[in-house]
Amino acid sequence: MQSFALYPFDPPGDTVALRTDLRAWLAANQPTDDVVARANCWASFDPDFSRALGAAGYVGMTLPAIYGGGDRHPLERYVVIEELLAAGAPVGAHWIADRQTGPLILRYGSEEQRQRYLPGIAKGELYACIGLSEPGAGSDLAAVRTSARETSEGWRINGQKIWTTGAHLSHVILALVRTEEGSERNAGLSQLLIDLDTPGVTIRPIIDMAGNHDFNEVFFDDVLVPHGALVGERGQGWKQVTAELGLERSGPERYLSSHALLVALIDAAGADPDPAVAGLIGELTAEMWTLRQLSMSTAAKLAAGEDPMVEASVVKELGNAFEQDMPRRVQAIVNFDWDDEDDLARLLRALLIASPSFSLRGGTREVIRGIIARGLGLR
Amino acid sequence: MSAARDMLCDTTRTVLAGADDIAPVEEAGFALLLVAEDEGGFGGDWGDANAVLHIAGMLAPDLPVADVILSGLGDVSMPHRAAATVGLMAGAMGQALSLSIDHVNTRQQFGRRLGKFQAVQQSLAVMACEVAAVDAAAAAMAARLDATGFDAEAAGFEIAAAKLRANRAVGVVTAIAHQVHGAIGFTEEYDLCRVTIPLMRWRGEHGNDAHWARTLGRQVAALGGRGLWEGLTARAG
Repeated sequence: MQSFALYPFDPPGDTVALRTDLRAWLAANQPTDDVVARANCWASFDPDFSRALGAAGYVGMTLPAIYGGGDRHPLERYVVIEELLAAGAPVGAHWIADRQTGPLILRYGSEEQRQRYLPGIAKGELYACIGLSEPGAGSDLAAVRTSARETSEGWRINGQKIWTTGAHLSHVILALVRTEEGSERNAGLSQLLIDLDTPGVTIRPIIDMAGNHDFNEVFFDDVLVPHGALVGERGQGWKQVTAELGLERSGPERYLSSHALLVALIDAAGADPDPAVAGLIGELTAEMWTLRQLSMSTAAKLAAGEDPMVEASVVKELGNAFEQDMPRRVQAIVNFDWDDEDDLARLLRALLIASPSFSLRGGTREVIRGIIARGLGLR
Repeated sequence: MSAARDMLCDTTRTVLAGADDIAPVEEAGFALLLVAEDEGGFGGDWGDANAVLHIAGMLAPDLPVADVILSGLGDVSMPHRAAATVGLMAGAMGQALSLSIDHVNTRQQFGRRLGKFQAVQQSLAVMACEVAAVDAAAAAMAARLDATGFDAEAAGFEIAAAKLRANRAVGVVTAIAHQVHGAIGFTEEYDLCRVTIPLMRWRGEHGNDAHWARTLGRQVAALGGRGLWEGLTARAG
């Protein structure tokens, strides 16, 4: 990766019309004007909104029509996603199912799994969570210990997942489990689709430092699922998961989830800001614009069927740094008391508190830099 | 993209390898690069110019290659010079990264290659991200200049954003490149200073950080908060 070759972002169809239609739809259907609700919007859970969005054809866009999808190009979906994020739409409910679980089931899942899960995902009604991290296996994902043993009745699962975003609101978890007894590291792992209402599954909340309930612990106590719960090939879980992470790391959410703050800063500054504020707006804009180029290029490479693991990591690293820095830099320049209640102050407070999490989810900063270093030929 | 770009890049490498003055660049006709074919020029686009400048930033950062290429445009504005400088900066930063990787892959300390140390790997990953950002900014700016027929005013947003992004990358890239090289990188005879000193110079030329930050910031303020996104998506993509 000596030079970041920019892939041309060239979606088929009329992208201008796609944006115009979606903006009009959002103007009529956006549930809230509250700036804090609009920030970090891919964590905002609103099933009514997700269902309406699905009915309008903006969820499951890339899934085939036979499964209720839109048969659209991945870059058309990208355009829709960035519009939703820039508008601060509450897309959290269907986010993971639409971004990761649906495409993964389509690619690796059985015909039965596709028919069972994809139509609900495309409607914006079926929600999924990602069962990767465990108490001993977060950044070191190959240390997964949750076990699944094949019996005559099906797979019997024991173990625990942690930091599972949205498990308490989801219908299904796609869990990485150890299917070969005694296997080590990234061998012997498989992915299982487990309906969360299966007996033996217990979900416990973890409240984060902002007072929000996104994370959970998920316990599996002799949980029995059918043989057909296995996704893809037995023992190929590691390969499937790392491909999935490319989708998780490079999307526009990596630089647009706090876009509401830049919008609020510009609006608060007015048409003729003082030089220091104008300078900050310019700096943040230059970074946001650059990140958009990097993210679009990575999306184009993904859409072309390649595996831009390193590029996706670059987007996550730079995007996380941008989003983490932005509230601090705004705080450094505007008059802001912690307890103020105007829009900009409430937003700033919420994002300052949320910002430490940005470089944790989807791989910590150190792990992401390790992936980039491997791309440079250092490891 | 011009179909002849690969050949153009080969020629550029040949002309610049070992060149210690600008005469071979002038003789090779680079002043005609951006001149239309029906005016007797090469008919290249800004993407071609960017590719040549990238190589110039790597191999011959002290030669005024940008001036020669821009001379073909006739009426050259400060934003045009800033745009050309971004191409040079991207190339020089790529070279600083390349030299750094070569160095840590060969130099041994504490019984291991430097590149095997996690701290060194993490630093170079940070640097690589900055280089990738400048490459992307340069390419996107070039695409906009091509879409506007080299109109620096119409591409004012992209030029401001790209030059500012490149300026801001200089500090990180030069600091990490020198840090991982240790003392050898601070010597006159070693190649690293051939790119890091020009990078420090270019950061202040044709608009420093404050100039482009305020220029871009005022332009964005006039659009309003929501207008920024609408403006951005209307310009490209």
